[in-house]
Amino acid sequence: MTLELQHAMKAHPTPDELARGRFVSAIRSFILNDLAGDLNSAYHKRAAPKFRAATGRDPQSSGEAHKALRGDPAFNIYSSMRVQAQKMVWASVADGVARDAARLEALAAEAGADTSVLLKPGFVPPRNASAIDVHLMPGSYTGGDGMAAGAVYDRGLAVFSMGLMGANLDDIGLSMAAYIKRRYPDFAPQDMLDLGCTIGHNSLPWKQAYPQAALTGIDVAAPGLRYASTRAKLQGVEAQFTQMASDNLDYPDGSFDLVFSSMFLHELPKKIRAKTMAEAYRVLRPGGLMLHMELPPNGQMAPFEAFYLDWDSYYNNEPYYKGYRDEDPKALCASGGFADDAYFQFVVPSISIYGDQAVSDAATSDADHAVGAETTGRLAEGVMWFGYGAWKA
Amino acid sequence: MSEGKQRPEDAPKGIYGPDGEPIFFSEPGVDRMMAVIMNLASELWVMHEREMPDGADKDGAAKAFIDRVFAPLRELQE
Repeated sequence: MTLELQHAMKAHPTPDELARGRFVSAIRSFILNDLAGDLNSAYHKRAAPKFRAATGRDPQSSGEAHKALRGDPAFNIYSSMRVQAQKMVWASVADGVARDAARLEALAAEAGADTSVLLKPGFVPPRNASAIDVHLMPGSYTGGDGMAAGAVYDRGLAVFSMGLMGANLDDIGLSMAAYIKRRYPDFAPQDMLDLGCTIGHNSLPWKQAYPQAALTGIDVAAPGLRYASTRAKLQGVEAQFTQMASDNLDYPDGSFDLVFSSMFLHELPKKIRAKTMAEAYRVLRPGGLMLHMELPPNGQMAPFEAFYLDWDSYYNNEPYYKGYRDEDPKALCASGGFADDAYFQFVVPSISIYGDQAVSDAATSDADHAVGAETTGRLAEGVMWFGYGAWKA
Repeated sequence: MSEGKQRPEDAPKGIYGPDGEPIFFSEPGVDRMMAVIMNLASELWVMHEREMPDGADKDGAAKAFIDRVFAPLRELQE
């Protein structure tokens, strides 16, 4: 399914651009559903038995599953096509964004977007965000002029998502906010901070869930922040966006009731990740909540399922992804200062796919048995999201 | 982690070529040919969609097109 964004900054593609985007969404669906099924079969029928014959035991980790699969025809086809499809995602929207630059700037000016974005002169983005094309996106998130990188990301993600990430790519935020609101009905934050917000697509649902609270999103990439501010204004959501690194928060102790992130921590080097946890703890008020939507940890998954997600670390320019997934999220929270018994984790069904009732059922069941399920964290039919967090005493 | 290349520290040797691109097939040219085939299929689809009437199920047609064109890449179904 091809997703047409539902906000004013959406693309106005030519018919040929629309057709290219449709093709890329459809071939990604073919790769991530059909070829992924073939990869699963090949692993169990050929790769794992071959590994067992050579070593006398089954693969026991993501890394060993990777080793077992390398060279298998199903792995080669899946991987080669997935890399090319990822490049085609960004290529399918690049011309439209370049053509639309003046209109996007006019929208920003008309919306008064610069009143709610703070960019820091001389700010140097960290190398993990600037030195590689993260997600194979040309120029990554920090480069280029104006808001172009933000627009490429928004429109590219619409093609990438195959309609599985919500009408405005906000399904993670909508699902997580709905889950927390139902599981903790007495929680009433006044100040909320989104770490690594990019274009704010998963920030805004939290303001909609808690309209009395002030929402701030931070990120290191200026183009995305300007785009986020404009997008939020045009969607009628009040939020502040600030250029800042998550491991060096420019806020006093006890400034927020909720510090959250969506698919962010796995992009950070280990030291920055650990410091981010400590900073989240520091800026939370007592009784505040730190919450992260992330990929499920390798320690709670079978080898093939673990590697299936880790694939991105090796082949989608996300070099810290596997190192992050090898960590125990409970220990990571504890390293930031949170008590062990303050930790909780859960799996929430996509609210756009499964509906409100499924999220309510998950919030009241207190179960996290689906962490290792095939649909958890995989952008494919039936996706569910993994989350974890900790309360500050 | 190699700071220069920013690769996962446990990346197996030989999975990237000299240009930094991942290598999957034993003949690296096959990876490039796969990209060419996908680009060609995309352009063929664009031409096909130009001829489709308004109101046609273009998403469904794109899926059927891809299923048909890329069928030889599927594993044998039992």
